[in-house]
Amino acid sequence: MLLALIRKELLVLSRDVHGLLALFVLPLIFIVVMSMALKDVYSPHVDNLAWSVIDHDDGAPVKSLLTQWTAENGKPQALPADWQAALREGKLKYLIQIEKGASDDLISTTKPDHPRIVLLTEPGLDFGVFTALGAQIQASTTALRVRSLMTNLMAKLPAQIKPEMIDVYTLGGEQLTKVERQEAGPRPTSVQHNVPAWLVFGMFFVIAPIAGLFVEERSCGTLARLRSLGLSPLTLLLAKMFPYLLINCLQAGLMLAVGVYVMPLLGGDALSMQHIQWPALFAILFAISLAAISLALLVAALVKTQAQANTVGPMLNILMAALGGIMIPTYVMPSTMQTLSHSSPMNWALEGLLNVLLRGGNLLSIRHEAALLLALATVSITLAYLVFRFKRI
Amino acid sequence: MLTLSGIHTRYPGATGFALEGVTFTVERGEVLGLLGPNGAGKTTLISHLAGILPLQQGSIGVDGQSLQQSRKTHPARIAVAPQEYAFFPTLTVCENLQCFGAMDHGAASSSDPLKSRISRALSFAQLESFSGQRANTLSGGLKRRLNLAIASMSDPDYLLLDEPTVGVDPQSRAFLLDAVRQLASDGMGVIYTSHYMEEVEALAQRVVIIDHGKVLCQGALNTLLASGQTELRFEQIGLSDINVRNVLQNYGQVQSSRQLIGQSSEQCSGQVLLHSHYQPGQVLLALEQAGARFVHAEFGRLNLEQLFMQLTKRSLRDN
Repeated sequence: MLLALIRKELLVLSRDVHGLLALFVLPLIFIVVMSMALKDVYSPHVDNLAWSVIDHDDGAPVKSLLTQWTAENGKPQALPADWQAALREGKLKYLIQIEKGASDDLISTTKPDHPRIVLLTEPGLDFGVFTALGAQIQASTTALRVRSLMTNLMAKLPAQIKPEMIDVYTLGGEQLTKVERQEAGPRPTSVQHNVPAWLVFGMFFVIAPIAGLFVEERSCGTLARLRSLGLSPLTLLLAKMFPYLLINCLQAGLMLAVGVYVMPLLGGDALSMQHIQWPALFAILFAISLAAISLALLVAALVKTQAQANTVGPMLNILMAALGGIMIPTYVMPSTMQTLSHSSPMNWALEGLLNVLLRGGNLLSIRHEAALLLALATVSITLAYLVFRFKRI
Repeated sequence: MLTLSGIHTRYPGATGFALEGVTFTVERGEVLGLLGPNGAGKTTLISHLAGILPLQQGSIGVDGQSLQQSRKTHPARIAVAPQEYAFFPTLTVCENLQCFGAMDHGAASSSDPLKSRISRALSFAQLESFSGQRANTLSGGLKRRLNLAIASMSDPDYLLLDEPTVGVDPQSRAFLLDAVRQLASDGMGVIYTSHYMEEVEALAQRVVIIDHGKVLCQGALNTLLASGQTELRFEQIGLSDINVRNVLQNYGQVQSSRQLIGQSSEQCSGQVLLHSHYQPGQVLLALEQAGARFVHAEFGRLNLEQLFMQLTKRSLRDN
């Protein structure tokens, strides 16, 4: 009986074109569009931005600074006549404005009365790029000043200390420190974030078709007929569950494949599956699928009309996605919203997947998220059973 | 025999009973007309019989077994063809039969393979040439035939047909009524609910009329109709409707007496249910002696619709 119902469910699903589009094509479109759109958020490029310079100083230290800057960030553009407008409209991404006296400041041992080197950016510059440019200009000016100070200082040193004993070029912080990501998983890219994010969204999108088909079967008397044939509510719920587990499985396979093989063809980064702990990946996908389907069955049992099913399902999805960091990564949210995001099942699912896909996590590392998802599945399916058992159909 | 005894049902939060002491029987091989206005309790009763709604009080027996015992061994022994098209619209006719056929574990465990049951159901409902067609593309009549085919394919002992001819053309209706007769003659007990009284009159050997959850009347259709009162209808000139009422009230229950539209006040039509000890001729004579000259007069026993309306009254049942 269960097999016949599962077969029926698969046949019905295979003929539900809109449902299939929503389950497979919609998340795929989101993966491609969002990965491409957010590509630079994960790896901001500061070396090919349009920039220009106003140099009122023209001293050797400033020239040295600009030479080094040009080497690192490309040649400056000719200064437009109305550079303020060019900057405001984003035609120039940034401009370095150098006042007279800046060279003196760079070699002086005293504190300047005000900054004479100003980096102005266009209003809409990405915050990450803004911060990177600021750090770079500060590092460059600091290095110049340290070298100048050390050269002056060495001229006054006792004769037994030879200048060649101190290499002023090795005094930079980069010689002492190193910043790198822990070698646990692949490099974070927009693909590495968006594939799991929209995969979670797609897997939870089963709420709409499950609830819709359920209401349709209830309203046309099919469920009543099946119940009259002696089918228990549990059998009917399980019959819905297995086909959608398969659907979720296909969604996961397809979307991961798109990340790995299709995104590079479209000019994006490839989803890296290196260092992936496969048992952990399968386990978290299974937990997500169970939670999504169980929640869908609870919604299906609760809604009364097709209109309710068509509204409640997508609304719940979008709410969980917005809150859970699917649409907007949680790290850009304020702390209150970050705390709130932990209440969204999609956040548990996403964090679990990111643990595996981004941080190279194993079964132990997903235990918290998997436990939450399985708890949600258990509560939802129990409530769905009780509602279905005692509700008039 | 299907035996319903003292069934009381009250839905949670409801003030009154949905069913109150409902008792009747259905023999195998007979068609029982179950009649009642909207909200009378028919759907609740069908839900009990289909095993969807547990009994609260009273009992249902199926050939000596309780309904619960009977459903354990063969749930589809009582099959239901609901008023709605209770099948999967995007599946084909054949796929629907396969699916519902596989659900019937009583029949599935028998020696009768699913394939032959499907073939028989297709043949019974004359759906062979539509077996590969999706159910949602069938006409209204074909959908009703598929609904009946699904219900009959488990070879039930009792079949509940809820408004099986709603929205079908006369040809399909005639086919469906013949099919129900055929099922009954093959030994199936059929409970047939419909608002089309002429269908019930044409099919049923017995009827049960329920309203407000109570059985108002039950028995053999012929007996019920024969035991009913005689109705007299007429149009006359010479007496006002008030005078007509005054004369008629001595002979029976006046159903209506009204002035004819566009005519003088002394032209009216009347309708009266005669007390059993009066004959129509006596009433017509009394009216004539009072001054009436008849344009038209007819009388006869009540038909099922008139009996139904008499028992359930004329007030609308919108809720």
